[in-house]
Amino acid sequence: MIKTLKDIREAEAMLLNVGTLLMSSGASTGRVRTTVNRIADALGYNIELLITNRSLMLKVIDEESDRFIASLKRTSPHGVNFRIVSGISRMSWKVIEENWSIPQINREIERLVALPHYPRLVILSSVALAGSSFCALFGGKGIELVVAFVATFFGLFIRQESLKKRFNPFVSIFFASFAASLLSGLSVKLGVGKSPDLAFAASVLFLIPGVPLINSFTDMIDGNILNGIVRGIHGLIIAFAIALGLLCAKFLFNI
Amino acid sequence: MDFINILEKGFWAGFAALGFAILFNVPQRTLLIIWAMGALGGLLKFLLLGVEVNIVLASLAGASLIGVLSVYAAHNKHAPPLVFSIPSVIPMVPGAFAYRMMLGCMELIGTSSNSETYLKTLAETTNNGLKAIFILIALSAGVAIPMLVTRKDTFKRIKSSEEQEDQ
Repeated sequence: MIKTLKDIREAEAMLLNVGTLLMSSGASTGRVRTTVNRIADALGYNIELLITNRSLMLKVIDEESDRFIASLKRTSPHGVNFRIVSGISRMSWKVIEENWSIPQINREIERLVALPHYPRLVILSSVALAGSSFCALFGGKGIELVVAFVATFFGLFIRQESLKKRFNPFVSIFFASFAASLLSGLSVKLGVGKSPDLAFAASVLFLIPGVPLINSFTDMIDGNILNGIVRGIHGLIIAFAIALGLLCAKFLFNI
Repeated sequence: MDFINILEKGFWAGFAALGFAILFNVPQRTLLIIWAMGALGGLLKFLLLGVEVNIVLASLAGASLIGVLSVYAAHNKHAPPLVFSIPSVIPMVPGAFAYRMMLGCMELIGTSSNSETYLKTLAETTNNGLKAIFILIALSAGVAIPMLVTRKDTFKRIKSSEEQEDQ
């Protein structure tokens, strides 16, 4: 089958869509490259791909007609979503095994993007449970766990609300860290439990930039050093935002 | 060595992993495995800490266990390894050390540089900061290296391109 320019253009748009979705959902650079390559291979195209943290550049080449299209797409700013990473990875195998067409792939992507998140209350309470688990790992007991739970719950709530109001992501993290440490700092001030300091330290840990930091290292040893550095700095700025929130609460309570 | 205490910590590490799994919106079928992997990694780390292994090495061992398990889990549950490994390794993040390093830095800003306490705080802060950084490196290395070593993708691609040349 001879591919028209329209076919190549469709493939280009779909591949860029897949790549940017993966990138913004928290996949490492190597995974984005292999997945996009895999789908392009299955459709019979040669591609060249440039991946940066905020945009992707893709050149799709059709060997038969010797035509190519190159274009650029910005990655969308929504956060980590492993359901999309796992869904696209599964889909890329099906594309090979079941010879999917481009409209079929586009439909699957639409379905994956529309998949619901966990209910808000479930997210809030399970992350709060993670906060009290951190407190327990540091050696906290009883009432300190409760303090960590409540502070984390409140902090994450503030973060979600400030993201909804479209604040800068780092500012949202600062707000969340400040809110959580205000609550847990209050318990330090009032002397709740034996070592309220543990709850104070644990209450902001739900904000730690785990995905950027681990992906940073994965990228670097994979040879994508520039992307690794960018992700590392991103994680560092998040860490600074957390520290700033803690600092403000500490100065307010003078602890 | 207090086995019950260690078991309890493993249990809590599992829940910390689970919370992050839900925050990162992982598919439902992977939740139980993430809990178990977080708990196992935590158990190994605290067991090693109990026999007085250095905390950096203990974290590396825990993270490597999670890294290897994540590759198997990925094959069984059809999701990329990072879906399992990143949430499970987060309970081992050196939050307490990073926190103490930051407190130390703030204290250093407030004290004059030729006093006795300055040197003491400086030593403690450096120690905590270095531990935090090296544990972080150990965690990401432990998770990333098994993923890279066992990746069959490159092999598959080489093979298929050879076949094409034969035709």
